[in-house]
Amino acid sequence: MKPATAHKIVGLLFGAGFGFVLAAANLHEYSTIHSMLSLEEFDVFLLMGAAIGVSLPLLALLERNKAKTVLAGTLSLSRSPVKRQNVVGGALFGVGWALSGTCPAPALVMLASGAGLAVITIAGLFIGLGLRDAQTSRASSATVTGDGEHRNIPVAR
Amino acid sequence: MLAALLPDRLPWYFAGPALGLLVVGFFMFTNQPLGATGAYVETAKTLRRDPSAVSWRAFYFVGIALGGLLAVLLKEDGFVRRTGYDVLLSADDMNLSLPVASAVIFVGAVVMGYGARMAGGCTSGHGICGTAQRSPASWAATISFMSAAVVTTFFVNQI
Repeated sequence: MKPATAHKIVGLLFGAGFGFVLAAANLHEYSTIHSMLSLEEFDVFLLMGAAIGVSLPLLALLERNKAKTVLAGTLSLSRSPVKRQNVVGGALFGVGWALSGTCPAPALVMLASGAGLAVITIAGLFIGLGLRDAQTSRASSATVTGDGEHRNIPVAR
Repeated sequence: MLAALLPDRLPWYFAGPALGLLVVGFFMFTNQPLGATGAYVETAKTLRRDPSAVSWRAFYFVGIALGGLLAVLLKEDGFVRRTGYDVLLSADDMNLSLPVASAVIFVGAVVMGYGARMAGGCTSGHGICGTAQRSPASWAATISFMSAAVVTTFFVNQI
């Protein structure tokens, strides 16, 4: 199987797993996020904490043992120093998250679950992302950089 | 419905670890974080036929929707019980008119998209994958967006 095809299948399956868990935990409902951010209900904070609690130590262990990933060479985690954009961008993200009641991935699940207004959310997200890219003129440049985003790793063939 | 295999809401102590395992699994297959912002970016590039697009992220993008759909199908009365944005419109809750709710959602989403791109990630990217990688940038972004979101919600609740 070509690496490109394998990536597509893996992407699809893990995306599905991610969407499945989001929907199962009701993270695709405005009310869930609103309760969380109103500090009325702590389930989502606990959920995120549990996710980090499981993944952080496992990733540290795998990194220390120089584990080999299936499709892309030795595991390489990414850690960057704090920059102004992380904090300012983060604050803007938070404001938008509170207003729209969802984030990028759950918005897709919202749409799939039949919440028609999520079309507006998804459109707005694309526009917002595009505006920032246009501003920093990297719409067509090499793929991006935050530690939470996609990064260019040479893929082992 | 396919079959009511899922409870109305999967508890955090199942969903959280499941998500954590997905993050680790994704790293162990692709050496990439399971972040959603990149998926939007690369999907947009793929649709624009940008040669630098990482097209498999578009499959990931579609996968999220499909996985979500499957979960709703497996919940009892999933499509009936889900509320989506109803809270904004319902007379018992926020009672916003459709145009006003749409405007709020749209503005929120644009600001969110802009902020995510500026920060280099979102709740899944920085909030989970970045913090799990022990990245200071991600910790900072996460604290920033959590604080801003809580404060904004406080003001929204006053209205």
